[in-house]
Amino acid sequence: MRLLLILGITLMLFGLTWALVLAPTELIQGPPQRIMYLHVPAVLTAYAALGIVFISSVLFLWRREARWDRLALAAAELGVLFVTMTLVTGSLWGRPVWGTWWTWDARLTTTLILWFIYVGYLIVRAWAPGERGARAAAVIGIVGVLDIPLIHWSAILLRTLHPQPTVFRPEGPALPASMLIPLAINLVAFLTLFLALLTLRVRQEDTLARLVEILEGGA
Amino acid sequence: MAFVTAAYLVAAALFAAYALSLAARQRLIAELSEATRPPAER
Repeated sequence: MRLLLILGITLMLFGLTWALVLAPTELIQGPPQRIMYLHVPAVLTAYAALGIVFISSVLFLWRREARWDRLALAAAELGVLFVTMTLVTGSLWGRPVWGTWWTWDARLTTTLILWFIYVGYLIVRAWAPGERGARAAAVIGIVGVLDIPLIHWSAILLRTLHPQPTVFRPEGPALPASMLIPLAINLVAFLTLFLALLTLRVRQEDTLARLVEILEGGA
Repeated sequence: MAFVTAAYLVAAALFAAYALSLAARQRLIAELSEATRPPAER
C-alpha cells in the first residue's frame, strides 16, 4: 500500500510537471487548456470510485456483509473528492474560455447532480449510522451511478457548451500524442493514488469496526 | 496562467484536506486502541 502511495504521488508530480512545462500550449484556448490534465483524470477517477460504490453497494445488499459497506463508504468519500475537483477545475477552465464560471448546460448540471447525490450519500451515513443507514446509503449509491451515463451522453445528444469527447470516441482520440501522453500519465497517476487512498481508508474502517466491536463487547 | 495555477492549487488543497481527515481518523484509531488494551499493558 505504501509503495502504491509513493508510486501515485511520484507519477502525479511527473505527470503534472509534464503538463505544465513540456506539453504544448493549445492554439485557441492558450494556457487555460492545461487544466485539462487535472480535470479529465479527476472526472474519470470519480467515475471509477463511484463504479466501486455501485458494485460494493449491490454486494452489500445481496450478501449483507459489512466489509462491502465499508468499501462503498470509502469509495464514496473519494468519489465526492474527485467530483468536487472536477467541478472546481472545470469552473476555473470555463471562466477564461467560455467567459463564465458556471452555466446550467446539460453536462455541468448532470455533474452537479452527481455531486449532490453522493454528498447526500455521505450525509445519510453521518446521520443514520448502523445497518439501516448503510442500507439506505447503498440504495443511493446504486441509483446515483445511473447519472454517469447521462453525464457522458449529455455532451453528445444535447446542445451544450461542453466539447464533444476528445479521447474516448469510436474513431480514436482527437488529441495529438504530445497532449495525449501527459494526459494518460496523469490518468494513471490519479487512479494509482485513488487505489492507495482507498486501500488506506478501507483498512481504517476495518480497524475501527474491530475496535468498536471489542469496546461494545467489553461494555 | 492565473486560472491554471488556481486549478492546481485547488487540487492540492483537496488532496491535503483528505490527507488531514485520514490523519484525524488515525488518531481516533490510536485512542480507541489504547482504550481497548488491558489495564496491565497500559
